[in-house]
Amino acid sequence: MKRMVRSEGYARARLANALVFAALGAVVGYRTLAAAGPSWLALPGCVLGLAMIALGYVRWRDYLAARRAR
Amino acid sequence: MAAGVIPAQKTTEEPSLRRSVTPWGSFSWGYSDVGADIFVGLGLVLGAAAGASNIAFLFAGIVYVCIGLAYTELAAAYPVAGGGQYFVFRGLGDIFGFIAGWAVLLDFTIDIVLFAWSCIDYLSKLVPVLSFTAHPWVHFTVVFTVIAGLALLNIIGVRESSAFNELVSGLDVVSETTILFFGFLFAFQPQLLLHTMHYSWPTPFNLMNGVSLAIISFVGLESISQAAQETQRPASVIPRTSISLILTILIFALSYSNLALGMQPWHAIPPDAHGHAQPLWRFLGNEDNNGAAVAVLASYVPYFGVLAALYVPVLGAVLLLISSNSGVFGSSRIAYAMSGTQLLPSLFQRVHPKFRTPVVSIATFCGFAIVELIFAALPSLSPPVKLVYARLFRGEDGITFLGDLYAFGAAASYSFVFVALIALRLFDSQSPRRFKMPFNVPFTFRGNRVEFPIVAVIGFFGIVSILAFTMITHEIGRIAGPTWIVFGLIGYLVYRKRKGLPVFRSQPHDWRRAQINILQEAGELEMMDDYLVNVKKMDERRAAGLTP
Repeated sequence: MKRMVRSEGYARARLANALVFAALGAVVGYRTLAAAGPSWLALPGCVLGLAMIALGYVRWRDYLAARRAR
Repeated sequence: MAAGVIPAQKTTEEPSLRRSVTPWGSFSWGYSDVGADIFVGLGLVLGAAAGASNIAFLFAGIVYVCIGLAYTELAAAYPVAGGGQYFVFRGLGDIFGFIAGWAVLLDFTIDIVLFAWSCIDYLSKLVPVLSFTAHPWVHFTVVFTVIAGLALLNIIGVRESSAFNELVSGLDVVSETTILFFGFLFAFQPQLLLHTMHYSWPTPFNLMNGVSLAIISFVGLESISQAAQETQRPASVIPRTSISLILTILIFALSYSNLALGMQPWHAIPPDAHGHAQPLWRFLGNEDNNGAAVAVLASYVPYFGVLAALYVPVLGAVLLLISSNSGVFGSSRIAYAMSGTQLLPSLFQRVHPKFRTPVVSIATFCGFAIVELIFAALPSLSPPVKLVYARLFRGEDGITFLGDLYAFGAAASYSFVFVALIALRLFDSQSPRRFKMPFNVPFTFRGNRVEFPIVAVIGFFGIVSILAFTMITHEIGRIAGPTWIVFGLIGYLVYRKRKGLPVFRSQPHDWRRAQINILQEAGELEMMDDYLVNVKKMDERRAAGLTP
């Protein structure tokens, strides 16, 4: 498990996961905002979208840090 | 569950724990604890908060982010096992340390029952004879057996290996990501979400009830500090993994609630008991499904749902079983630690002569868990008791009863953690903090430059409001939660009096030496040097009369 976690393939898988989350977050946030308009009802969808993008960013940053460490 | 066997904890020689947990291990440790909560929380919140379930999760989620940041800062600064109990003990003194620890112990005992209960609920989606509503006696017997079995395994000293935890956590993250991906891309309809929020908005009472139940989806942050004691270079690793963990858990909770309210199901939902059509969220929140809502929701996701219906109940059950086991392990470990600092009688430090595990602690808190199980299951096992519950407690079902107490214990202990964080910022500014909660106001306190944490104040008011919601909306939690605290406090006062220890005041503690030992054992030598320099400066200022 430890060897797998330290491998390049695992790092790439995490990067792919980060991109999936960021893209999904953008889609969810945009669709909710487009449907609700400037209404507080859009808040949960927008926060979810932003959280997904933030997670994507954190994992992308981790990936870069792991590459630098190699 | 016991995919690997690790040696029993040696308790008689007070050995230090081996620091072998990697960043991924640290993440998965937390994930296997907190990640299981949404499997229990989703159905309960949908049943209570209806069309505002996503708002309930959002409110609780914001508070949870504050709590997570507080734990991250404290666990990185004080990387010792013990979690909230240790931070409060250190920041606020003995009696508050006891109250916080006792509230955490309530949560751990509920953790044991609630997750064992829900584990069987998930399995019942594949094995209908285990269904709580159809066969309550079978359900009760199996949950009882699971708890007894976990107690026995912990007494013998068998635990699941950390590699097993990592594997299950990894599988679950991939699985949940896939479910959300298919759900949001192929079935999520924002118009339906808005329609549900608009037309199925709950009463203020039900919304408060929903918020108080939503916090149970975010309980288990003790594992962050538990992992800190066994992580290599915790001050740098813990903040990194914690932020990722906090975001992941928040995303899953918000995603599932939004999806449940705004997803067009892949196939038809069965009609309710009166033959009327019902929306997905109501179906997930009813008594038949609220214990296994994630598995039911996953089965209605387009394309992937066919596969998810087969494996999500099993994966959920395994994750919940790990979480239930962490309740057995955690309660015994915290009771053992509290006993070592004379907050609980030395009885709780007694170890089994052969297996060298804290047998009294394990047996006691599993015993409490069994009592809670009986209280939770009684209404379904006995019709006369059901009538009593209906009259006195609004007819709360078993899993809601457990959820009540879980929310109370969590809100109570987290409230103290925020206060402890503020106190430690003010009175222990010498301890270096590699990670700090954002938004701080610098000022001078007793001649020292300190930073006042605004986020901790926001989090404190958030968690206190959730505690208030719990007290207002939960008939059982309102009585049983404070009763637990009061009885514990009476026991504490009697014990301290009989031992000749300070009853309301704290014993003298050499925190400087303790902190040096903690940082040295953690391998955080730079932090230890910084700490020594800070302490020296403070002593010089004190000698010069600049600091009281």
